[in-house]
Amino acid sequence: MNILAIETATTVCAVALRAGDDVDARILDEDRRHTEALTPGIVRVLADHQLSVRDLDRIVVDRGPGLFTGLRVGLATAQALASAVGVDLVGVTSLECLAHSAASRGYRGALVALVDGRRGEVFAQSFEIADDVVVLTPAEVRRPLDVAIEWGTNGRPVLATGDGALRYADVLAPVPTMTLDDESVPSCRAAIALGAVRAPGEVSPLYLREADAVANFSTRQRPS
Amino acid sequence: MGGSQRHRDPYDFIVTVILGIETSCDETAAAVVDDTLRVRSSVVESSLDLHRDFGGVVPELAGRAHLTTMTPVVERALVQAGLDPLAPAIDGVAVTSGPGLIGSLLVGVSAAKAYAVAWGVPVVGVNHLEGHLFAPLLETPDLAWPVLTILVSGGHSMFVLHESPGVHRVLGETIDDAAGEAYDKVARWLGLGYPGGPVIDRLAQRGDGNGLRLPVSMTGPDVDLSFSGLKTAVVRATEKHPEVSMEDVAASFQRAVCEQILRKARRALDDYDVAGIALAGGVAANSALRAGVSALAEERDIECHLPTLAMCTDNAAMIAAAGLYRLQHDGPGRLDFAADPNWSLASLS
Ligand SMILES: [Zn+2]
Repeated sequence: MNILAIETATTVCAVALRAGDDVDARILDEDRRHTEALTPGIVRVLADHQLSVRDLDRIVVDRGPGLFTGLRVGLATAQALASAVGVDLVGVTSLECLAHSAASRGYRGALVALVDGRRGEVFAQSFEIADDVVVLTPAEVRRPLDVAIEWGTNGRPVLATGDGALRYADVLAPVPTMTLDDESVPSCRAAIALGAVRAPGEVSPLYLREADAVANFSTRQRPS
Repeated sequence: MGGSQRHRDPYDFIVTVILGIETSCDETAAAVVDDTLRVRSSVVESSLDLHRDFGGVVPELAGRAHLTTMTPVVERALVQAGLDPLAPAIDGVAVTSGPGLIGSLLVGVSAAKAYAVAWGVPVVGVNHLEGHLFAPLLETPDLAWPVLTILVSGGHSMFVLHESPGVHRVLGETIDDAAGEAYDKVARWLGLGYPGGPVIDRLAQRGDGNGLRLPVSMTGPDVDLSFSGLKTAVVRATEKHPEVSMEDVAASFQRAVCEQILRKARRALDDYDVAGIALAGGVAANSALRAGVSALAEERDIECHLPTLAMCTDNAAMIAAAGLYRLQHDGPGRLDFAADPNWSLASLS
């Protein structure tokens, strides 16, 4: 099965192609130039394996949570590619990709995946990794300090992974039972592994946060 | 694979059918146009209803709506044009890559590149304002050149000398607010809701344009425009004369806007010898402006190109038409082009 994975949820833009048994994963850009880098990167990785978009059996896309504009570049690209030639589309989340990546690197135990949500917040989700990756909490918007307090209080050893862990290392590091992961980008390899076994269908972005104007509007009285 | 590789020489191919994509503001649009400038299909979905309560387009809401609507709109445009959406017989994709809201532009640009790569055709980024300049051609493909285009919308107000397809020069533009922006601000001040253009136009038709004394701005010798002083004047005059009816306020404001535009259009016509005058952009739907431009054309004995209402709104047919020209004359864009929210029309001349 030939699978293309697209990753644009953080400042990093990445793709991976599984052609047969081989997975070719590439970082295309690390500085938010998703629009510029993504499609040329897809063209190159396909060409390097003598494949075209029509040869794909499935496209997997990270639907977030993450940077809104980045997500939309990835999703618009994935949706257009899929609908242009009738290829199946599958969505995975950035947080589950982080967890599954740690699992594939041999980590076992509690894990909290943290994607930088800007404005002093992270998109967070907890997992328990044994033979399987088990979801402990839903994906949610949290303050890094609250994450630190939660794990500092419950005393359980935990691995914090993702660019949110990196960004807020100073807040999280004082928790003695918490280890900070080196990897911070949701893994395209994990996306391919997850996407390969999931039912395809409509994929919508996981924003986890309302548009600012809507949030401000609903908390404010209508002017008379 | 990628069109940019297949068509290395910009002049070695002919584009006969093109898909246009437009997502610069709150309209998600796709259209199929051929090289005779026949519009085979044009689909426009607007997210306007989402923005009404906020008194203007909310960029994040617009971006979200574009993502939801993009692929269904393209599919409808292809099907309506009689094409197979999984293998359409098109030779290129044109997409608005600026100016506009960056979060909205990115959706269209990303999708356009993906369609181009999937179908193995070239893609080109089109300037949205140049798209508006091509709109009259879709309704009158054999129009006489040159044309003075009055481009007035919520984001732009300018006079453009369009000498031949794709060869144009900005003669003057607003130094502050766009005309449509002035309508929105005055409508908000009057409590008439958003968008302001249609509602003020409707009220104005039942009002007296001399009901409220308003100054005509920008009487200088250039062809620049200014609308922010007019908005302030409306605020002051209505505070001073609360007895003037809403209809008269609307009519007086509308008259002042049109008078300024028409006065400057006259000046441009004095300075440049043109075969026609065209109105383009959202404010081209304004009844008073249409009547004024039409009278001016008659007075000067030149062709008058008043767009249909569908062609006033942002649409992808005009983007496809401009893209057709750009692909044939400049060749395909590179696949790594970005969206430019501030791309000026003047940079193309
Ligand atoms: Zn426009």
